[in-house]
Amino acid sequence: MKKKKMLLSSKTMDVDFVRKVEELSGTSVRRCFQCGKCSAGCPMATFMEHPPNRIVRLLQLGQWQRILAGRSIWYCVSCETCSTRCPNKVDLAAIMDALRKLSWDKKEPSKEHYVQLANRLFLENIETYGRQFEMRLAAVFNIKSGQFLKDLMLGPKLLCKGKLKMHQDKNRNIHEIEKIFQRIREMRSKGEAE
Amino acid sequence: MSRIGVFICHCGENISRTVDVEKVAANAAHIPGVAFSTDYKYMCSDPGQTLLKKTIREEKLTHVVVAACSPRMHEKTFRKAVESAGINPFLCEMANIREHCSWVHEDRDEATQKASEIVAMLVERVKRNRSLPTITVPVTKRSLVIGGGIAGIQAALDIADAGHEVILVEREPSIGGHMAQLSETFPTLDCSQCIMTPKMVDVANHPKIKLYTYSEVEQVEGYIGNFQITIRKKARSVDEDKCTGCGICTTKCPQKKIPNKFDQNLGMRSAIYVPFPQAVPNTPVIDRENCTMFKTGKCGVCQKVCGPGAIDYDQQDQLIVEPVGAIVVATGFDLYTIDKKPEGSPYTGYGEFGYGTIPDVIDGLTFERLASASGPTGGKILRPSDGREPKEVVFVQCVGSRSREKGISYCSKICCMYTAKQTMLYHHKVHDGQAYVFFMDARVPGKNYDEFWRRSIEDEEAVYIRGMVSRIYQKDDKVVVMGSDISVGVQVEIEADLVVLATAVMPQPGADLLAQKLGISYDKYNFYSEAHAKLRPVECATAGIFLAGACQGPKDIPDSVAQASAAAAKVMTMFAKDQLEREPIVAKVRENTCVGCFACKKVCPYGAIEEKEIRDRQGNLIRVVAYVNPGVCAGCGTCQATCPSKSIELEGYTDEQIIAMIEAL
Amino acid sequence: MTQDNHLNYAYYPGCSLHASASEYDRSTRELFNALGIGLEEVPDWFCCGATPAHNVDELLSLSLCAKNLDLAKQVNNDMAVACASCFSRMKFTQHILNENQKKRRLVEKAIDGPAHIDGNVKHILEIMARDLGLERLASAVKKPLSGLKVACYYGCLLTRPPEVSKLDDCEAPSIMEDIISAAGAETVQWTHRMECCGANFTLSRPGIVVQLTNAVLNSAKRAGADCIIVACPLCHGNLDMRQEEIEGVYNTSYALPVFYITQLVGLAAGLPAEKLGLDSLMVDPLPMLKKKGLL
Repeated sequence: MKKKKMLLSSKTMDVDFVRKVEELSGTSVRRCFQCGKCSAGCPMATFMEHPPNRIVRLLQLGQWQRILAGRSIWYCVSCETCSTRCPNKVDLAAIMDALRKLSWDKKEPSKEHYVQLANRLFLENIETYGRQFEMRLAAVFNIKSGQFLKDLMLGPKLLCKGKLKMHQDKNRNIHEIEKIFQRIREMRSKGEAE
Repeated sequence: MSRIGVFICHCGENISRTVDVEKVAANAAHIPGVAFSTDYKYMCSDPGQTLLKKTIREEKLTHVVVAACSPRMHEKTFRKAVESAGINPFLCEMANIREHCSWVHEDRDEATQKASEIVAMLVERVKRNRSLPTITVPVTKRSLVIGGGIAGIQAALDIADAGHEVILVEREPSIGGHMAQLSETFPTLDCSQCIMTPKMVDVANHPKIKLYTYSEVEQVEGYIGNFQITIRKKARSVDEDKCTGCGICTTKCPQKKIPNKFDQNLGMRSAIYVPFPQAVPNTPVIDRENCTMFKTGKCGVCQKVCGPGAIDYDQQDQLIVEPVGAIVVATGFDLYTIDKKPEGSPYTGYGEFGYGTIPDVIDGLTFERLASASGPTGGKILRPSDGREPKEVVFVQCVGSRSREKGISYCSKICCMYTAKQTMLYHHKVHDGQAYVFFMDARVPGKNYDEFWRRSIEDEEAVYIRGMVSRIYQKDDKVVVMGSDISVGVQVEIEADLVVLATAVMPQPGADLLAQKLGISYDKYNFYSEAHAKLRPVECATAGIFLAGACQGPKDIPDSVAQASAAAAKVMTMFAKDQLEREPIVAKVRENTCVGCFACKKVCPYGAIEEKEIRDRQGNLIRVVAYVNPGVCAGCGTCQATCPSKSIELEGYTDEQIIAMIEAL
Repeated sequence: MTQDNHLNYAYYPGCSLHASASEYDRSTRELFNALGIGLEEVPDWFCCGATPAHNVDELLSLSLCAKNLDLAKQVNNDMAVACASCFSRMKFTQHILNENQKKRRLVEKAIDGPAHIDGNVKHILEIMARDLGLERLASAVKKPLSGLKVACYYGCLLTRPPEVSKLDDCEAPSIMEDIISAAGAETVQWTHRMECCGANFTLSRPGIVVQLTNAVLNSAKRAGADCIIVACPLCHGNLDMRQEEIEGVYNTSYALPVFYITQLVGLAAGLPAEKLGLDSLMVDPLPMLKKKGLL
């Protein structure tokens, strides 16, 4: 996908997608003049196949499929360095959030399923307990990602130090919290919210 | 009885697309006083103007209304045309049905109605216009040039060579500006001082140039052709007439560790100093803030060793008034610094580059001083921190420039070229050194510029990396540069010995205050504004004041010299006449109703109102009334709005006219 | 905020402080108690969503935070937050909902109530350095941390982006150095105090965390630090919990204790080590502290 020739025309440049990203992120994609300062300071750039400036470039050309097909956006760690240093105040961190959300919504199997799995379990915990249940998060992640031995040695050490709770009580107001999740789902199904 | 001619212009499609011009012409024909009404495609064109003149003669018109674009565009054009057909130019008015109508509305019917009403208003106005003779003022054929950099020097020489006296005022102790600090200049790699010093000496020796250095413009009064400039000649503490420039005082001065601004604070100077050896004039200055004598009252070595006895500790600032007819502003530029800026500043510094605390991160002018043979290192490129020769030098372009986030959104124009030049200078001096340049674009459009830039990459082995730098930090004795190469798509890290930042070009500090003294406009960055970006690039909107060099916008030496000569040519055009013509749209006082409250004088922005005594035949004072100097008055009308007794009126804008215009609606 | 010159806040601990970062919670409470600053825990507070929420669902993130801000406001108009991530999310919520009315309406619909975004959200660093003031902080020090060389690690979310967090200069901050200097310690200048540790990738991509955190530890060690202090549970987790693993991967030894700032300041204020949770730290700090004569 990455090396495929780009056939550019008003049909192949999906401007609507770009507008949606701009609306969700509240920033302008066109302001980027590809200086590369974001990529220079990004702690994750060496792990991404598309460094941050290239993601914006693909977006400027309306080639969202190339972005969402890859892992790059999932490797962004939200450190906000790019947005802080961009000479044109392009909020790249917010663009990354918007791209991830659009990918999440499409439920497209990105190559990067570990990070997506972690996110999904984290949010499930909130809806179930109200607060994070770290033990469950780590354990279920290991199981579902098939990495049973990951951090195996760390677990008992943390337990000894009292850093890992074996049990999590649900919040008293868990129903309030569940309702927030439900209302958002309803708003989406009715098309009131993105 | 007036016979008014009304001409409705289509302005191509600009007006006719929205306004039904034939209808407007037809409507105008019905207005009492209008003898002729027509429409035409391009009134400002040659056939359009011919039509105008022909119609005036054939229809024996007495007044003309041209309904077209803004008077700011073509009022002069049409007034000149009617004048050649025999009508006083001030009996011709323009009705703006473009900027005020067709360009801002969409509904055809409504726009046409509005255009008809605008025309009707102007017809009523022009009926009450009076013929006005042009006003002439004398012109003092001397020019002031503010700033002694290359632009100021060039302008001064051009005007002086044309035979007119020039007053050149320079803030620093010597002329030369930033060009004198440079090592070699692009695109020829000429030694900067070698090409400049002959011009500096010409200025010093020219019989028609009066040079005031270590001086500033204190006050500006008057108007075009007749300015009174008060110059503050700051106290050098040295008598210029006695000083021979031998330099013994600077050698013997015990205070030797004062950072020298000319050497970008890398080199040191003494308290009594000449900024650089080729300074013009070669007369030293005592820096009273750092001089032991002035701080403690003890020392006096320079006075003791001075043969001619030129040292004068009691010297005071002098205020000198010079009358001039024109002013050329050539105050030049200064560089942006990456230091942390105070709260509330429109600019931010570069914290990611260390806020200026890393000694081996320098700017372009500092590199020039390192490279210059007369610089603090004798022309050797050495690290400021430990004096070692750097083997890996990183140049970073666009620091501050093109960066909305830092407050400067423009491009500084000269950095791509001077960075390429600096990589070449570095390579010439350090043969086994490697230069890297982080850049975004190469803005090198001038004559021989692109070839020069390519030379740096192809012949001088500079490595150009397309990408910017995110962070620069000190690691032991190296400076780590974290950048990216967007062509390859990877992060790039370089452990450099020296980093040179191409910082943004900005106007000199105090540029806004000088502009306020002169009464000229400036933009949000304090660059001075030209009267028209394309067609009048060296004039200010304020008459009689011209611009040259980087004070108007970032500029390289060829363009600065060209602009300086252009400004000089404008001055010479002014001086080619003995009298200057001024627009007669001025205010006039009705003396019998004026009570002498002088509210008008308080509000006049141009200082055009004077006091006039009314005396009887015996010479006894009856009363004092206001009088408008027609040469100074710019016709703004503020006085008319202010006068409580309605005794002052602007020609062409009297209350009677305005009321008639309103009633025509 | 002040009742008879007494500082009081609604306290939002965040999920980590009730679990893997419980020593941060304990030390903060103990220290603030000793300093006379009131912390009243927000009843029924719940997870702010941290990074995972805004990463994939901004509306959810804003709603979770808005509801928590609402709960906090019922206790006090000023909210104290210890976790850098929670702090960032609360500030972002206020910032975005202030500027974007459309998003605000959606959030209010989701939480079925008004979004109270005009309260003051303060990080405990701000509270110590500014609300209380460095002078009063210094006067509370009974056992100054003399001779201790501290590397202050800010991480990402405390100061970035500057227009949202408004905590300190995002390239050259000094708030942590000011606080720990008031406690008598010496701070070192080091190159990686603002560089990312890898944050929540500790769960899904620990290999990345190992690489990034190693660079941070390496820099602190080279600068001659005796220890590192943090104000973020995730940074702490990566620097402390994974330090042994990192030493193994890179075949090196750091032995750099990583403290929460409130633990060290608490020590300086004369609080006993047990109350500060020093024994919960994975890299044992006791030998180093004893050697420095601070314990």
